[in-house]
Amino acid sequence: MTGLSEVSLGHYLAVAAVLFTIGVFGIFANRRNVIVILMSVELILLAVNINLVAFSAFLHQVAGQIFAMIVLTVAAAEAAVGLAILVTFFRNRGDISVDDAAQMKG
Amino acid sequence: MDLTSALQIALPEVILALGTLVLIVVGAFGGEKSTGLVGLGAGAVLVEAAAAACWGPMGQAFHGGFVADAAAQFSKVAIYLMSAVAIALGAPWLRRKRSAKFEYPLLVLLAATGMGVMVSAGDLISLYIGIELQSLALYVLAAFQRDDSRSSEAGLKYFVLGALSSGLLLYGASLIYGFAGSVRFADIAAAVHAGAGQGVIFGLVFLICGMAFKVSAAPFHMWTPDVYEGAPTPIVAFITAAPKLAAMVLFARALALGFPGATGQWQQVIVVIALISMAVGALAGLVQRNLKRLLAYSSILNIGYALMAMAAGTEGGMQAMLVFMVLYMIDVTGFFACLTALQRDGRPMERLEDFAGLVRVRPGLALAITALSLSLLGLPPFSGFWSKYYVFKAAIAGGLWPVAVFGLVASVPAAFYYLRILKTMWFDEPAGATDRTPGDASAIGMGAALFSFPLVLPALAALDPLATLAARAFGLA
Amino acid sequence: MKLILTLLVFLPLLGAALAGLFGRRLRDRASQAITTGLLFISCALAWWTFYQTIWGGWPAHAVVELLSFIQVGDFQSTWSIRLDSLSAVMGVVVTSVSALVHLYSWGYMAEDPSKPRFFAYLSLFTFAMLMLVTANDFMQLFFGWEGVGLASYLLIGFWFKKPTANAAAIKAFVVNRVGDFGFALGIMTVFWMFHTIRFPDLFPQIAAHAGRSWTFAGRSWSALDLAGVLLFIGAMGKSAQFFLHTWLPDAMEGPTPVSALIHAATMVTAGVYMVCLLSPLYEYAPQARTVIVVIGAVTSLFAATVGLAQNDIKRVIAYSTCSQLGYMFFAAGVGAYQAAMFHLFTHAFFKALLFLGAGSVIHAMHHEQDMRRMGGLARYLPITFAVMTIGTIAITGLGVPGLNWGFAGFYSKDSILGAAYAAGAREPLGYFAFVVGTAVAGLTAFYSWRLAFMTFNGPPEWARADAHAHGHADQGAHALSDHATSAQIETHAEPDETPDHSHSGDHGHDLKPHESPWTMLVPLFVLSAGAILAGAVFMPHFVGPWREAFWRGAIFVGRNNKVLDGAESGPSWVGLAPLVASVAGLAIAAYYYLFARGLARRIAERGGPLHTFLYNKWFFDELYDVVFVRTARWFGGLFWKGGDQRTIDGLGPNGVSAVAAWAGRGLGLLQTGYLYHYAFVMLLGVLGLLTYALTVWAR
Repeated sequence: MTGLSEVSLGHYLAVAAVLFTIGVFGIFANRRNVIVILMSVELILLAVNINLVAFSAFLHQVAGQIFAMIVLTVAAAEAAVGLAILVTFFRNRGDISVDDAAQMKG
Repeated sequence: MDLTSALQIALPEVILALGTLVLIVVGAFGGEKSTGLVGLGAGAVLVEAAAAACWGPMGQAFHGGFVADAAAQFSKVAIYLMSAVAIALGAPWLRRKRSAKFEYPLLVLLAATGMGVMVSAGDLISLYIGIELQSLALYVLAAFQRDDSRSSEAGLKYFVLGALSSGLLLYGASLIYGFAGSVRFADIAAAVHAGAGQGVIFGLVFLICGMAFKVSAAPFHMWTPDVYEGAPTPIVAFITAAPKLAAMVLFARALALGFPGATGQWQQVIVVIALISMAVGALAGLVQRNLKRLLAYSSILNIGYALMAMAAGTEGGMQAMLVFMVLYMIDVTGFFACLTALQRDGRPMERLEDFAGLVRVRPGLALAITALSLSLLGLPPFSGFWSKYYVFKAAIAGGLWPVAVFGLVASVPAAFYYLRILKTMWFDEPAGATDRTPGDASAIGMGAALFSFPLVLPALAALDPLATLAARAFGLA
Repeated sequence: MKLILTLLVFLPLLGAALAGLFGRRLRDRASQAITTGLLFISCALAWWTFYQTIWGGWPAHAVVELLSFIQVGDFQSTWSIRLDSLSAVMGVVVTSVSALVHLYSWGYMAEDPSKPRFFAYLSLFTFAMLMLVTANDFMQLFFGWEGVGLASYLLIGFWFKKPTANAAAIKAFVVNRVGDFGFALGIMTVFWMFHTIRFPDLFPQIAAHAGRSWTFAGRSWSALDLAGVLLFIGAMGKSAQFFLHTWLPDAMEGPTPVSALIHAATMVTAGVYMVCLLSPLYEYAPQARTVIVVIGAVTSLFAATVGLAQNDIKRVIAYSTCSQLGYMFFAAGVGAYQAAMFHLFTHAFFKALLFLGAGSVIHAMHHEQDMRRMGGLARYLPITFAVMTIGTIAITGLGVPGLNWGFAGFYSKDSILGAAYAAGAREPLGYFAFVVGTAVAGLTAFYSWRLAFMTFNGPPEWARADAHAHGHADQGAHALSDHATSAQIETHAEPDETPDHSHSGDHGHDLKPHESPWTMLVPLFVLSAGAILAGAVFMPHFVGPWREAFWRGAIFVGRNNKVLDGAESGPSWVGLAPLVASVAGLAIAAYYYLFARGLARRIAERGGPLHTFLYNKWFFDELYDVVFVRTARWFGGLFWKGGDQRTIDGLGPNGVSAVAAWAGRGLGLLQTGYLYHYAFVMLLGVLGLLTYALTVWAR
């Protein structure tokens, strides 16, 4: 417990912020694979969850954890929907590279 | 408050959710043959939900997480009815495309449920749930034509960017929760009033960004043209109408109920977003030759107007925003209905040159498009004029006259691209005959045209007090 | 009386109408006879009126109201004929010169095919001028003002086939518009101050308003000074004063009788007349008068110096006119309105004489106007030589100071310079005017005698073999300075281009100069008599001891204004100075052009900077070309190409649409279709909004 007590809210937030940034960068720095984008989205949601749980613990409130559970649930649904869309996309194009998804522009 | 009364307050959404479940079972067992039945059922559920919303009890449920007030009522009725129209427009179109699926009305139902939750959101959790419920359904709808690569690309883009925006929004929500100490708007408002720190502001900006994406305001608009172009036309008609209203109401509610003590602050951010939206919507539309993309930019422009009214931060501004969104919704749905109705050799007519001389081929629809274009342009006495009138009046009354001036300027290039459509239709040589027009889509298009003038006048007489009542629910001065 | 006045004013209009409308049916001879006859009647009436007003039983001030013109609130205007000493004098000047010019034109325009038109214009001008001088309110004054401007425009451009004539007509019109703008503003100022534009209502009020001030262009002005200056700007345009003088030399493109009538004797003096007429106003507007003195003096000096180096006989006289008008203005400016009117009166005679004499020379020389192509004409044109000499003596103001006898200019110039000197006692500006005026007297003598000597004495240049090749080679020698003479070159070419009035039939290109017909000589005689006698006879009346009885209140002189008294009682050297200067000018001219003939030509050909400068009229045309014409064209181009096409159409319809389309394309390019770009834009949006929000909210 002593070790944990040294970990303050700030540390959690920092980790979350780093994860969030990695996730955001993963979305637009990655040009090859749409799957990576899905993973990045998960990373963002993970960062949010860390935030929520940390705040919840810090505030001694349960709402944050409920929120986190709901985010987890929705994230699962989102991943399912995302993968489903990706499958149809792959069926049409035979490819899931990000660069390929540029048929419409202007 | 016991669960029964809480569910009564959330009755419209309960009806929708249960109806969806029942219809899923029907569809699952009935297969393709049950598509028509599911469609009818979905329509019935939506109408019933609208009725429940209209005459249902008001109040708060789930510890303030769900709010049924005049604003929610007002928007729900509009949203559900528009969703029903979307089903009426989309289902026959899909049947004609030989890709009729019973999932379409169900997805619309789910999206409508999400929108219902959005406009009733009283805390950050229901805000998120509503948005996701709506968005997930819309992602799937955008990719609904599975065998069309453009449709699936639209769905993919919509999904990825939507997920990103949800992430932004969530991240903001988590920060707000952490620094304000609560997820409920009322408590957040109290915390902000007591002087919350930088963290809340940080969170608020992220939240605004996320919601700006949902209303397709610049610079979070990038998905709009591609999705509008790629997604099936009747589905675009749905995406562009009801979800925008829901997102706007949610936007307004989150800001007005959650941050009433920081009106001056969020006002400035919203003004910037409104300005960028108007500029982008007006300018980028100029070079578009694809009508669906054009309407995407037009919707960005119009969201700019709506945001301008909202930025006024007054009751009048909210009322103007509500009236504007409802009238815009009808116009744009009508426009897409006309596009849905028009085909040439089995292919949709989307490009500007396809519409050359349309008035000699399809005078009725050409006339409807003319009326709707003029309405979008803001020409009196069409409905677009009245909606703009509300918006500009509210903006000026709220002291945002420079923004209003900018909005007027932005409407000039917009006028150009609407008028170009008219010029092409009326004065160019006909590009050839079109396919037989389906009665349903034409009827919706003509109905919207008729609404834009002259039906708008009596409708406005009813809409105005209702919107005033709804705007009062935001608790602004 | 009413009948006489009405006939006096309207007979010229009748003539103009008859000749103008029925000229074709009436044939040339009848048109000429009608207009000239009517004008002579009018002239006789004018003299009768003059006599009756000054010495006879007619009231000092009478107004014949003809017709109501404009009645809007305070703004009352009536067609009327105002008769007082001023208008009587002007009536005499106008009708006399006009009648003589009509007669002269019989001979001068003998070969012109559109004589009825010419005579109609002349009569129309006379009518407009009479309307101007008999105006009883500003509206009619303005009407006459514009009427003479119109007639002037028509007559300068009479030979409308000549491009230079058209250009000159347009130039005159445009430059006059500048003046008229000031004039109209002045009228408005007067109306704004006094709520009336009628002279009889206006003049008594002025003293009470003397102190009023008005803030205009950031400065507090005495309102009367402002009105005075604005009205004077109108006068500057009409009377070709410095800055607005450029049209007058070019106006010489018109037929010579026109130059004599309009651009020497009458129209250009309208500005002087107006200043004298408004003496009640100017007496209370000292700053405005200061402006008048400065402008008048500068004009007289400027025009005289330019006159030194001109070779076109008519242009020399034109600059001389300009210079003499400057005299009149500074006379009025120092308060010697009577002297100004007196000089106007005498000037009308001798300047018309000079012009008509020059016309006679030109006629004789087959429309050669370059003095370098003349010379030795005294033998061939003895009568013209005589009258021109009389005119030259008159303008240079020669006389015998001891006997107090001299030609017309002697008296009027003396009185002006004396008055200027006397005014110097009160304000140093008078001395300035005096010094300038004296110097100008010398310059005037030089260029006037130069004209006479170059034309009538020396070897007959025209007789040389190459002479009638029109000396284009010679012009080429002047190429250095000749861009100013393009109009002159055109003038030389004119007989070929307009065979209308080249002497085709009787003597072909026989070069022998010939004396003019009697119709041209009679006016010369009459005017010579005027040039000799007008000064001596009328001096006591205009400026001398009888002036009170002569003017009878037509000219208002402030109580402190004693310049004319001072002019008489000034030191004797003041009276002698102009004479000395004049004689000196004569001597120098004689040395250069009689005794050391080649000298002047060599100087001219060497094209020294001073000569170039003067020959090119101080480069005023070039300056205006650069400053106004090209700037205006540049601005026009700017407003058209830059402003209208590029800015209004450009920034407006086209440009906004171009920029908008460009921006739209740019936004379209941003819409690459690539997900990561979209996501990146979104991120930029987040960062931008975050930065913005934190900056804005930090406050």
